[in-house]
Amino acid sequence: MLTFAEELLLLAHDEKSGGFANIQDLLMNTALAGAVLMDLAILNRIDTDLSTLVTLDRTPTGEKLLDYGLTELAALPAKTSTIDALDLLRKHGATFEQMAIARLIERGILREQGGRILWVFETRRYPLIDGKELQEVKRRIADLLLSDDIPDSRDVVIIALAQACGLLRRVFSESELRDAQKRIDQIAKLDLIGQAMSDMMSELSAALTRLLPYS
Amino acid sequence: MEINELPANGATVLQLSGRLDGTTSATTDAKLADVVGRNPTLILDLATLDYVSSAGLRVLLKAAKQAQTAKQKLLLAGLQPAVKQVFEISGFSTLFAIFASREDALASLR
Repeated sequence: MLTFAEELLLLAHDEKSGGFANIQDLLMNTALAGAVLMDLAILNRIDTDLSTLVTLDRTPTGEKLLDYGLTELAALPAKTSTIDALDLLRKHGATFEQMAIARLIERGILREQGGRILWVFETRRYPLIDGKELQEVKRRIADLLLSDDIPDSRDVVIIALAQACGLLRRVFSESELRDAQKRIDQIAKLDLIGQAMSDMMSELSAALTRLLPYS
Repeated sequence: MEINELPANGATVLQLSGRLDGTTSATTDAKLADVVGRNPTLILDLATLDYVSSAGLRVLLKAAKQAQTAKQKLLLAGLQPAVKQVFEISGFSTLFAIFASREDALASLR
């Protein structure tokens, strides 16, 4: 099973360029931190409530990316706030992204292709090998949002992540999104880590907007 | 965490007491999986449930999905203020029919 960080990157993948959607680093890093925490929660390594996050079990999960996150969390007290955990892990966003890409390559979902721009600058592209996994993620999201089915925990997480990063427009047209907005909001809200992540992203966006006129 | 099955006509009633969190979610999940679908209605009496965490909410979400698949009614009763607050903030209150007490939930079936 893919980690949420891998699913998030797949959703952000741009088939044309072989790169990833241009999402501000601050937001993407927070989303990746949220994705790691949500996987650790589902694997019962951590638990959260409206404000606190408790580490229950430091046993490695066997997924390098998640175990890296679990190790980093040890820098915080066993009982901390979800916001502090997100804040700590988002600083490792670039590492999570590289680890998730490496895992997608290892799984045979992406392949790495090197190249040069203007014969000088090295570039990296990650074309999809057959796109089956991406279609599967998109199908899961579409099936759920277009039905009244109760979501399962994994569906809730991927919708919370895709919504927070503005990636649902890669699954739906603008009018479909408008029609599904109430259901998207309802589902995304069901995950408490997702709520904290979304609040943090809104605050970061607002802070960036305030700073821009002076930069 | 204690889970007691209480006698009731036409419904399975489970009384959950204590804390539903990451340390008790696995046993609660197993018990709920065992009773979902047994009767047309499952009532979870939460009057003595003091705390619910994300792990607890996932167990309840799974039970709600299993009940939906089994075409079973899943009713919740007697939420304490702290648990009710979690339900309201997380939107879980929109997923379940919630009653003030077990008696009210049972009365709704008549």
